[in-house]
Amino acid sequence: MIKFIFIFLMTVTQAFAQMNFCTSELETYPVQAGGREKPLFVLASETIRFMTGSDKIDNLSATEAFCKLSLMAFGMPLSLPVHIKVEHVDAKKLLGLSEDKSSIPATELEAKADLITEEVAQIKENNSYKKELNKVLQRLNAYRAIINARAWTVPLKTDNKIEFVSIAEFLTQSRVESVKDKASNPVKYLFEQSKADYLQIKGDKYLLEYKYYKWNLFVWALFSSIISIALFVLLKNKTPGTIFCILTIGLEIVAMTLRIMISGRAPITNMYETVMFSGFGALIISCGIYFVRKDIVFVIAGLAYNVLGLMMMKFANGMLDEGISPLVPVLRDNFWLSTHVSTIILSYAALALSWMLANALLLRSRFGNVSGKEYRYQVDLIYTCIKVGIVLLAAGIILGGVWADYSWGRFWGWDPKETWSLIVLLVYMAILHGKSTSWVSPKRFVLLVAGAFMSVMMAWFGVNYILASGLHSYGFSEGGAIFLGSFFIIQIVTLLICGVTLGKAKEA
Amino acid sequence: MGLMNALIHYYRKVELFFGNMKFAVFIITLFAIALGYGTFMESYHGTEYANRLVYKSFWFMGIQFCMFLSILFATLIRLPVKKHLYGFYVIHSGLIIIFLGSVITYLSGVDGTITLTPNLPARNIQINEDELKIQFPSRGKELSVSLPYSAFAKDLNYTYENITLKTFLPFAESKQDWVPVKIEDKSQSSSRYRIYTPNFGEFVTLSLHPQSDFANTQQMGPLNVHYMPPSLGPCFGENTADGLIVWNGETSGCLAPQKKDIKRQKGLSGKETIEVTYEGQKIRFLPQMSPLPLDDKMNLSENSPYRIFSKKLFEKSPHLFLFGKQAAFFDREKKSWETKAFEIGEETELPWMGFKIKLLEHRADAYPTMIPTYVTPAQENGQVTYGTQKAIEIAIGDQTFWVKTNDPVAFNQGGERIIFDLGKKNLLLTYELVLDQFIMDTDPGTNNPASYESYVTLFRGNAGSTKHHVYMNNPLKYDNFTFYQASYFQTNEGPFGSVLSVNFDPGRFWKYLGSLLLVLGSAWHYMIRKKTVVKPGVARD
Repeated sequence: MIKFIFIFLMTVTQAFAQMNFCTSELETYPVQAGGREKPLFVLASETIRFMTGSDKIDNLSATEAFCKLSLMAFGMPLSLPVHIKVEHVDAKKLLGLSEDKSSIPATELEAKADLITEEVAQIKENNSYKKELNKVLQRLNAYRAIINARAWTVPLKTDNKIEFVSIAEFLTQSRVESVKDKASNPVKYLFEQSKADYLQIKGDKYLLEYKYYKWNLFVWALFSSIISIALFVLLKNKTPGTIFCILTIGLEIVAMTLRIMISGRAPITNMYETVMFSGFGALIISCGIYFVRKDIVFVIAGLAYNVLGLMMMKFANGMLDEGISPLVPVLRDNFWLSTHVSTIILSYAALALSWMLANALLLRSRFGNVSGKEYRYQVDLIYTCIKVGIVLLAAGIILGGVWADYSWGRFWGWDPKETWSLIVLLVYMAILHGKSTSWVSPKRFVLLVAGAFMSVMMAWFGVNYILASGLHSYGFSEGGAIFLGSFFIIQIVTLLICGVTLGKAKEA
Repeated sequence: MGLMNALIHYYRKVELFFGNMKFAVFIITLFAIALGYGTFMESYHGTEYANRLVYKSFWFMGIQFCMFLSILFATLIRLPVKKHLYGFYVIHSGLIIIFLGSVITYLSGVDGTITLTPNLPARNIQINEDELKIQFPSRGKELSVSLPYSAFAKDLNYTYENITLKTFLPFAESKQDWVPVKIEDKSQSSSRYRIYTPNFGEFVTLSLHPQSDFANTQQMGPLNVHYMPPSLGPCFGENTADGLIVWNGETSGCLAPQKKDIKRQKGLSGKETIEVTYEGQKIRFLPQMSPLPLDDKMNLSENSPYRIFSKKLFEKSPHLFLFGKQAAFFDREKKSWETKAFEIGEETELPWMGFKIKLLEHRADAYPTMIPTYVTPAQENGQVTYGTQKAIEIAIGDQTFWVKTNDPVAFNQGGERIIFDLGKKNLLLTYELVLDQFIMDTDPGTNNPASYESYVTLFRGNAGSTKHHVYMNNPLKYDNFTFYQASYFQTNEGPFGSVLSVNFDPGRFWKYLGSLLLVLGSAWHYMIRKKTVVKPGVARD
């Protein structure tokens, strides 16, 4: 292919050289990647971030960099300094990087590719080091795909149907020469023509995704949540806080609706989406409880949890993948997916509210002064959240059973995800039953509720990040496991700090 | 009425014990811990091990039964009905009904798979229970023995006539071991070698014993290794013009005839026959056609112990002949056959690019074989990679042997053939399913599967046939059974085969009813507003 390209290289190179081809205008061109059609902007951003860990290369936007790298296959001279991300300490050692460096120039990595492949073949255990080496190879392959003009796909109209081909196949000599007379710049003409063909046949629905990413609605929702909390806490008048709270809900509804329209399914199919939905759900539940209990503390807890979720979505990229990709076949049932998963996630959201209130009460009574009456009142608030949580959880587990029965013929199969959701229910049931015995005093109740959320985290994240990774690999070195490990440590330390003094304190 | 009172007294004690809230808290906690343990075991050792060790073990069922007792007596102890506990009664009856439904499923439900090869009728449902089939073809008799669902090696103590089933291993790996032979026969010896270069090496076990799991040839990259009786060694060392070797399979004696010892003739069909005198007999061969000698009527004789072959065949590519403590090979530089003798542990050079050989063991009093040994299975990336075999040890008379999964063993006992087959239990349908086509769609531009679909025809004998389309979330329901798209495989001929999971669940209605009660009851119990604690210093509206 490469040789073939060289034959008509001159034409194409001239065409590229005549103008500044790689501009932000390309961002809205349709591509097909990972089984979906999307704007080039999304493909370029995802690929460049995956390769380098950053959104830009040498001050060029992801799309511009992606384009310039792709043109290397057509002989465009270019030396973009692409640095490929390397995170694991041992991987750095293998590649001869010093520990403070977190990337290696692509050309240097290319020379060491065989070294990595050999090393991978020699490691028997599927440990974090091996996984990282494989990841590095994947990043290198992504780079190779770009510079060989295979990553960038272009719609091609044949018999009134759209088929996608890589630009290596798209820019053939015959195709370029066939339009030589129609335009001064045949290459640009071909690209524009292909976009026009795509729009004519498939419409501009794919551009929603462009807007979705460009608008950054979740970041605005994050700001609005924080402002709302601040206004509720600082001002006696609740109206300004309420306005920003409603604004937050509105922004999130718009953002999620866009996401639903783009993917064509409920926004609860991967970790990123469940975190997003649980933050939103907690806010809605807290507002619902507010209408019954008339205490603004619920809304503040809901907003605070929403902020936590939005922060994770923004900053925990290593753990939560923002991209929209096709579902595995077994999940392709919108009705059951929507009802079962959203019920479970809403229940986790309600339990998260109880967790926030419980930890707040623990810290307040440890480092401040809480009257007995206030304490009892707060315990009752926590209890309210748990009640909502467990009813939803029981319903969600049963809906899951019905779905499993409907699609696999088994109501229950001891699958780790369903088993852990049952464990969560049992943990909260044990606490609620215990509340009626002398074993669980109100103070112990608060401690237990604060700790019980660890079971939710295990069911939600742990099953995917710790259990699914299997034997020997829970080295707590990958994003998800580090996050979960830190969460457990912080929660246990909080329980210890607040629990130790409780023994001395008088029962409320 | 003293007895009645005593019974009531003891019943109250039982009720108080199991219906106690503290017992509930204890058993719920214990159940949760057991479940957590089960999920970790699953992650490390695979689904089947976790099922055998935890989820389907007796102790775990005991915990579940205690849960049931706790729920039941907690309800009974709160009778007669009190108005404020309506939600509570509904929740707990829901749970009791779910439990009973599960017991019905456990006792009389069917959960299996059916494998459909394209265009081949199938009616065999494979159930996830192990059994040993013992067949006596001459008597037309077949015996099925169910094997225990245990996580560990289990002694069976099952006897039928003179057959004893000794140990069942649910998870096993075969490990090499030496089995003593009754009558030592030098021509059935076995050896273990290490063949290596400076940066690569392999242990090679070769055996001539008919009961050994090890063959007498092995390929190591371009090198072919052949293992032969020690008595043949000297014949390989002799360089003769034709490179022919004649040997007697019964006595293991051999001859490397010189040119003068061979009489050549053109046969009727134009093929060359040769005649060799060996052990006082004139033996005729068609060496270009067969290693078998010819009988008086010029037919190939399979019953004769004599064989012939030409070393010339092994001169073009690297072949290594081993005879226990001796090796023979063709040296291409010297253009001659060489032999080398060595003792155990001695390093010997071979003529190919730095290859060396070392004899580690050489025995005729025992033969090497693979003996299944119990191991704890291990799972990696969702795939069980270690301990995937099952095996059962069987004794007949004074002979013991192992039968492994999907590897039936035929045993001859006084002229009667007995076949042992370790596999899954089967259930026969009264109708047949035929896979017309299996289709796997992929996401555009990728190889990721987007859907699995099976087009099947159901044949009901005289009642005719119907066509069905089975795919994810769209099962086929017939005859109380439900067939779900579960998996697929590629056949040798190319097209895909399909695996459907087959299910019959008589407890389904009760589980649904119980679930409904549970959800409604908990909403009733928890969501309907009861007394709440008033915020201090704030008047309630």
